[in-house]
Amino acid sequence: MSALSFEVSAFGEAGWLVQLQGGDMVATALAANAIADRLRPLKGVTDCVAGIDSVVLRFDPCVLSPQDARKMLETAVKEAPHDKAAPKTKIAIPVCYGGEFGPDLSALAKRLSLSEKEIIKQHSAQKYRVLTIGFAPGFAYLGPLPESLRTSRLESPRAHLPAGAVGIAGAMTGVYPLASPGGWPLIGRTPKKLFDAKAETPFLFEPGGEVTFTPVSEEEFARMEAAAS
Amino acid sequence: MSVIAKITKPGLMTTLQDMGRAGSRHLGVPLSGAADPLSFALANAALCNEPSVPALECTLQGPSLRFLATATIALAGADMNAQLNGAALPINETARVKDGDELVLGTAKTGARCYIAVAGGFAGDTFLGSVSTYAQAALGGIEGRTLKAGDRLLSAGETTGSARTPSAALYPWLTHEFFLRATTAPETGQLSPESLKQFFSARWTVSRRADRMGLKLEGPSLSLARTPPMASSPVFPGTVQCPPDGAPFLLSCDAQTVGGYPRIAQVIAADLHLVGQMRPGDHLWLRQTEEAEARDIAQKKAALLADILPGGFFR
Repeated sequence: MSALSFEVSAFGEAGWLVQLQGGDMVATALAANAIADRLRPLKGVTDCVAGIDSVVLRFDPCVLSPQDARKMLETAVKEAPHDKAAPKTKIAIPVCYGGEFGPDLSALAKRLSLSEKEIIKQHSAQKYRVLTIGFAPGFAYLGPLPESLRTSRLESPRAHLPAGAVGIAGAMTGVYPLASPGGWPLIGRTPKKLFDAKAETPFLFEPGGEVTFTPVSEEEFARMEAAAS
Repeated sequence: MSVIAKITKPGLMTTLQDMGRAGSRHLGVPLSGAADPLSFALANAALCNEPSVPALECTLQGPSLRFLATATIALAGADMNAQLNGAALPINETARVKDGDELVLGTAKTGARCYIAVAGGFAGDTFLGSVSTYAQAALGGIEGRTLKAGDRLLSAGETTGSARTPSAALYPWLTHEFFLRATTAPETGQLSPESLKQFFSARWTVSRRADRMGLKLEGPSLSLARTPPMASSPVFPGTVQCPPDGAPFLLSCDAQTVGGYPRIAQVIAADLHLVGQMRPGDHLWLRQTEEAEARDIAQKKAALLADILPGGFFR
């Protein structure tokens, strides 16, 4: 357990950002989410949102003074657990890698000097944690990605990608829950529904949860997709 | 719930909106809701509705509706030359409509969004406590999408009610020139001193890329200090991001919840409603404002609007 150092700065007239520096990516992200979850329900707090290594507290200045809001945030940071607590949920995501399912896999293999098979093996052997939820409803930032797979975002983002597209960027991987634009190189696709507004629990992931990827064939993908719809 | 009207022409982009899904950003769900919450609330206020009662948001070119029941309606926001059975229906006035009446909206000359409210409000699909439409994820509204011809609009309550006229002094005055006040944001320091000066003094033009998610601004190209890419961090409606191309991007009501581009400014809460009325080609100035002054402005403006927006600007 390393020390969590931090820096607070103003973010608008009714917001404070705390930037966390913790060393370990997962522990820092879990701390950010713990801080946000703790502060969100408090009186005068209009919203509290975690990033990968940051938290923004937004407040109503008619209810909470900026100084008190800042103190509240600093206290929550100082008291936040900063360790890799065991995951409460474990989710396996079936993925059909490469080909039309992962249109950037072959280019990535060249860039990373690895075979497609090796990328699939490494991506699916790793146990990831949900660092935070954001960007789109139910999008989970997952990490850490094995060092050997780290790559930059696409030079120009795709205007359209399908729901279930699995991408990697930097030290993270993630699954796009909805058809959307996106800038992460795509290596595969899952038939699993990650967000369903009509379901009793619309969101599959929660911060801190463990996620693994299981390679499936095109046939299995088609069967699972048919069963899901 | 009963059918109150039918869409005969959908307009450019007409959606059902309320005040949005506040407090859902930790789930990756944007705020959504009316892009111009003040005009939205004015339309409701004219009908003595609660400020957050669902109404239609019409964009640039309004829809045509045929009413199928008796109702009291009010329009607010951008003037789209509305006609009720061929006679002009002025903005900010209420009207009684009956079965068979035709409401036809035209094109806005200034401003971008007009709100059509009905006494008691329209009904829609609820998600996380709000019926506001977020089309990207097919949430809320009517099947989570923009309205199309043939859609039937349901009323959520008693459709006729008392009407009142909010003070005309409170109506937003819309032109093609906008003036927004903004504070600095966490990465403002990454702008070069010259770019910082330009950002808060240039006459920016709203580009064609302007929607409920955000507006790309055209003007001087801003330069940022070379820093390692930042980890995704929270952004909000009113946040101005600066991508590597140097063209600032002003986030609006459907803004994503986190982003990886430097945040160089935050539009003050009291001015944010104006962003919903900016359209491609409009001009805008941003004036740097200290946080304490921004809070003071919000408090004074909220006091003036206490009858219209009792919740104030911080939601």
